[in-house]
Amino acid sequence: MKGVCRGLAGVVMLSLMAMWGCGSSKQDQPLVLEEVALEGAVVSVGPEKLSDWGLFVGDLKDVSPAPNVRPYEISTPLFTDYAYKERFVRVPDGQSVSYHASEVLKFPEGSVLVKNFFYPADFAEPEQDIRMLETRLLINEGEEWKALTYVWNEDQTEAFLEVAGQSIPVSWTDNKGILQNINYAVPNLNQCKSCHEYKGRFTPIGPTARQLNRQTKTGVSQLAQWTENGFLHGMPADGIPSLPIWEDASSGTLDQRARAWLEVNCAHCHREEGPAKNTGLYLLTSQSEDYRLGIMKPPVAAGRGSANLKFGIVPGQPESSILLHRIQSLDPGVMMPELGRQLVHEEGVVLVTEWIRQM
Amino acid sequence: MTWQSIEKSLQTQLITMRDSSEIRLPEGNFMFANSLLLDDKHFVTIQGAGIDKTVLSFAQQQSGAEGLKISNCSNIRLKDLTIEDAKGDNIKVTDTYGIEFDGVKSHWNGEPKEENGAYAFYPVLCKNVVIQNCIAAGASDAGIYVGQSDSVTIRYNKVYYNVAGIESENSRWVEIHGNEAFKNTGGILIFDLPGLTQLGHTTRVFNNVMEENNYKNFAPEGNIVAAVPPGTGMMLLATRDIEIFDNQFINNRTSGLAIASYDLVSAMSTEEGSQLNNNIETARQDASYDPYPTGIYVHSNSFENGKLLPTTQNEFGLLFMMKFPFGTPDIVWDGIAPDRESFEFCLENNGEFKFADLDAANDFESLNTDWVAFNCRGTNINPIF
Repeated sequence: MKGVCRGLAGVVMLSLMAMWGCGSSKQDQPLVLEEVALEGAVVSVGPEKLSDWGLFVGDLKDVSPAPNVRPYEISTPLFTDYAYKERFVRVPDGQSVSYHASEVLKFPEGSVLVKNFFYPADFAEPEQDIRMLETRLLINEGEEWKALTYVWNEDQTEAFLEVAGQSIPVSWTDNKGILQNINYAVPNLNQCKSCHEYKGRFTPIGPTARQLNRQTKTGVSQLAQWTENGFLHGMPADGIPSLPIWEDASSGTLDQRARAWLEVNCAHCHREEGPAKNTGLYLLTSQSEDYRLGIMKPPVAAGRGSANLKFGIVPGQPESSILLHRIQSLDPGVMMPELGRQLVHEEGVVLVTEWIRQM
Repeated sequence: MTWQSIEKSLQTQLITMRDSSEIRLPEGNFMFANSLLLDDKHFVTIQGAGIDKTVLSFAQQQSGAEGLKISNCSNIRLKDLTIEDAKGDNIKVTDTYGIEFDGVKSHWNGEPKEENGAYAFYPVLCKNVVIQNCIAAGASDAGIYVGQSDSVTIRYNKVYYNVAGIESENSRWVEIHGNEAFKNTGGILIFDLPGLTQLGHTTRVFNNVMEENNYKNFAPEGNIVAAVPPGTGMMLLATRDIEIFDNQFINNRTSGLAIASYDLVSAMSTEEGSQLNNNIETARQDASYDPYPTGIYVHSNSFENGKLLPTTQNEFGLLFMMKFPFGTPDIVWDGIAPDRESFEFCLENNGEFKFADLDAANDFESLNTDWVAFNCRGTNINPIF
């Protein structure tokens, strides 16, 4: 290893003022940094271009899926700064997905899960003026899954592999007609695993039976259709679990919807098999112990995340509940989830607040 | 001071580097906007040019709950660098087999304050942990914290201006020796808490100097260390099989060594009776959890305390001031146990010291300063390494 990675090379002057301008309240002056590169070979981790995968046909910007790439929908998505998402799956020809009642369905080796992240310029007209930001792939390599992230160019003609993450200024007009501006954070590949982890191994999170067990936009029952098409096998005739749609009061009680929101936004880490198992706070919808849900549970390693409060959840007292405090925070040392948002999910916070208040 | 950015380049290498390789960081001051993450790598070394020579600062961090996070790795070595000012923990290591810090400084600049991150060094759910020749300062919880881990060596470190200098929590087979813990709120803590993935035991604490741990407690409330009285040299909580020997306890104004049950800390960290009961109830619900410390052998240590008054910033300090007007006790037991015989505790060859059994469960009614009942030879714990 002698000689590798020693010293600095490839000096590029770069002002990071724009990026760091607003959040650094404790620093009086914005810092101008010279960006330098460490020496050392960079190893290729996957195809450089999204188009190399052959997932979409025609112009890439139309994101029109190839015939063997199947769109799917889930009931309650993870909050990602109000980004719109579209999901697809491709399994190798002649193979199918195997049913599982509680965990992510078993996708055969070679399967690719595809998620597009985009913002319409105006949320009132979500079909128009769409800006594609990134496409994330999860690839089942047999032994384990791998993540690759592709960032779309300005012309929207191609997306390129991004290993180390990126910050992209984005703006849109939200449902209240307010113009929003953020620096959207494309995760680095290790950040992907910060959430996509089950017993230390990389794993998908979303496509569980309970998330997929729903009517699609076009009104078909998704899992039944998959079974009919031979895309899914092993599904029992009845007793398929389903997760409510967090924002649709007709889909579940307040308790069910708040628990669905907590599962989707928190339980990828906060479960016995997840990276936050050390906290003893477990938020899957299957969790039945009050204490494990944080009710009158003192924090374990929250640090200043505790905000001088004593318990995760105090029934009837949202203002005294650490859990609520942390999902409302934007401070990197306090906020939950730790990654994937620069904004507060206001509607989710309202839901959880009401849930705690009515306990 | 000139700051540079190596963020993109370093994070890329952390992702793409091969197992059994090394990243050398040059001398310089490097500022980061996001957490650095290392995951699923094996036999990897990250080598700097020295403490205060290679400085990784997270003072302007925009995202991520820690400065550097290492997860699901094995045999990782971090050497000769400084990490500072993360918004959360400076260095967190989780689910890793084999982690060594050697010659690493991890701290927060400026006056110690509640806004600082919780832990400077934070291995949790790890096995085979070595932290040596390191410096930890300014942590609003613990400078060196090892949680729910096995086979841990913490030696030859300097820890100061933290709430807890060194804290071992729910960890097993731990050796803490040759460290200097000074000017913290509490020098060295060995705690066992309920409801976690494992319970701790078997810890040797020797050849340490715990001096002037009188700093105000600046931990955010809700955290267990917020209950530690300023002026605590060392504290044991609800833990078992601990041997403490050849240490120097110097000028820790409230007490040199405090031994407490979870009942007591629950009471101290809550104001209302209902919450206290709830906490204790929680501890009881965890059937495997024993809230009372036992199996403690304290020998061949030296205690000196030139301070006349305990802390006045804590209920216990105030209590001590009332009960012990002529100098506070060096070794304190809260006196809470299911029955006194179940408390295995030996004091031997510690020179001159003052002792107190508080009988805290009965409003200090039978407070007792006589330690003859505990004058015995305990069981030596075999060296773990």
